[in-house]
Amino acid sequence: MKKAPGLRSYTLFYLLFLYGPILLLPIFAFNDSRVVAFPLQGFTTGWFAEMAADQNLRNAAKNSLIIALSVATISTVLGIFAARASVRYRFPGKGPLMSMIMLPLVLPEMIVAMALLVVLLSIGIPLSLFTVILGQTLICTPFAVAILTSAFQSLDRSLEEAALDLGETPWSTFRLIILPLVMPGILASFLICFTISFDEFIIANFLGSGQPILSVYIFGQFRFPAKVPSMLALGTLLVLLSIILLGFAEYMRRRGIAKAGGKVSGGFL
Amino acid sequence: MTATDDRPTMIEFKDVHKYYGDYHALRGINGTIKAGEFFSLLGPSGCGKTTLLRTIAGFEDISSGVIMIDGKDMADVAANVRPTNMVFQSYAIFPHMSVEENVGFGLRKDPRSKEDKARAVAEALEQVGLKGFGKRAAHALSGGQRQRVALARALILKPKVLLLDEPLSALDKKMREHMQVELIKLQRQVGITFILVTHDQEEALVMSDRIAVMFEGEIAQLADPETLYRRPATRKVADFIGTMNFIPASILSEAGDKVEVEAKGLGRVALDIAQAPEKTGETPVVGLRPETLTLLYDDQKAPERETDGVIDEVIYFGDMTYYDVYLGGTDVEVRLSMRNVPGRPVLDVGDRVRVAWSPSALVLFR
Repeated sequence: MKKAPGLRSYTLFYLLFLYGPILLLPIFAFNDSRVVAFPLQGFTTGWFAEMAADQNLRNAAKNSLIIALSVATISTVLGIFAARASVRYRFPGKGPLMSMIMLPLVLPEMIVAMALLVVLLSIGIPLSLFTVILGQTLICTPFAVAILTSAFQSLDRSLEEAALDLGETPWSTFRLIILPLVMPGILASFLICFTISFDEFIIANFLGSGQPILSVYIFGQFRFPAKVPSMLALGTLLVLLSIILLGFAEYMRRRGIAKAGGKVSGGFL
Repeated sequence: MTATDDRPTMIEFKDVHKYYGDYHALRGINGTIKAGEFFSLLGPSGCGKTTLLRTIAGFEDISSGVIMIDGKDMADVAANVRPTNMVFQSYAIFPHMSVEENVGFGLRKDPRSKEDKARAVAEALEQVGLKGFGKRAAHALSGGQRQRVALARALILKPKVLLLDEPLSALDKKMREHMQVELIKLQRQVGITFILVTHDQEEALVMSDRIAVMFEGEIAQLADPETLYRRPATRKVADFIGTMNFIPASILSEAGDKVEVEAKGLGRVALDIAQAPEKTGETPVVGLRPETLTLLYDDQKAPERETDGVIDEVIYFGDMTYYDVYLGGTDVEVRLSMRNVPGRPVLDVGDRVRVAWSPSALVLFR
């Protein structure tokens, strides 16, 4: 078959548009100038030092970490229940129910954030880190369910029955057979939810009540040109962290499926 | 064939029904399985044989009826405390454990010392021919080896009943035949009741003391292999087990223990009532196995009856030749098998032949 002309340059342009700006982050993070512009002025690690010294930033990072860890834990636990139920049991209304759980994946986050804000305020729950955790869990749970469903699906049902048959109770079967075999999926779900929560902005901004949260804080700092280079340094670190976490998550997911004797297909990466 | 009837009953089904929603999967199963018996549940896919096996294991509840194991009603006995163990079709080897850990899994709650358990595992592995495989990872095993691990894992608990769900279907032909013989030997050695689910009639005939043939959630016939083969109870059973020629017939008279029929192409035959097992209301046909028909060569005389025929098809198998023959100038075609012995030429399509047969080999379905 003859290849259509221009597809190669289209692809190149597409990838450049996608990743070019991200590549600029580390370049300017090490550039010895407050002005973010070419030509480059020289190499420095000063922005990283300035970033590390910023007390507000450290506070925001700590809050973000608390939120992300909580969201990842809650979403993954909820995901385990939902995925297990959807893979293993048949019950009335399962189809619509699973769709409703997955819906936040495509729902505009702005809508979710506004709706939550109105509801929380009207029932008198004060905005705090807790409300951010609540909102982000809603967003992250579908991801957890998707990842864990694939983990549970690749599990041969006879394995459970074999353990029961050999004298184990349903609970010890879950602990000895199911949990170890889906553990890589659980880890993958945890890491992905952590990453999503860590750089989530809209809900953090709406429901955070002015508490310093990393994504919101970064956005705020861009108003001060002098702060931009240190924010780029922070961004560089976050990109690195995301790549490492997501890569590790996908590695664990694939390993889990292979371990349970399944074939790897689909997935996020 | 061993005499199984004087052995005590191990499993008893009393009018067992199973519904999945509207679907009636088991429709009144009755019967007993004796202790120490090699029993097979045979039938096409969807006949309920696996469902029945799973109700014995306790993986499926029954909708009504009673299942007794060793004299005890299993209604309220969960799968994990039933005196049964199962070899799964997929073998269900725990992929995150070694061979040793798999085999010893059922001994977790066993009060014996660690050393005793290790000895039991080693013995079980030796029993299935996997001596020295204990440290291997489960996923590094071949299909045949997995099967043996699954066997060892189930047998180490010394169950009263071992359930085997199509255990040989994933193996290639050579390996399957080899494992059939090994399973028979193993069963004799351990003396445990084996219940095998299979769709392979040959496998069931080779391995079993008795066989229950199932269609559409019912047991069509429960008998030893020879009876099943020689005296199938219904046309459907006859069709499922081996090859059977069906010849249209009409019933002329029935008196005492004799039935006289007119079979197309064969003529009038008097049958013993034992050859006409069960009235099912279907159009009468007589059945004849291919090996009970013989071609007569030259001026050979038929020991009992003979019929003229014309060869329509010749299928050469090396040791055997199958002939499809039109009987006595009719459109009734039968298949017969002849052993290829030296000095006996393979015949051609269109050859006129004489076919010898014996009335006692006939079965009447009506």
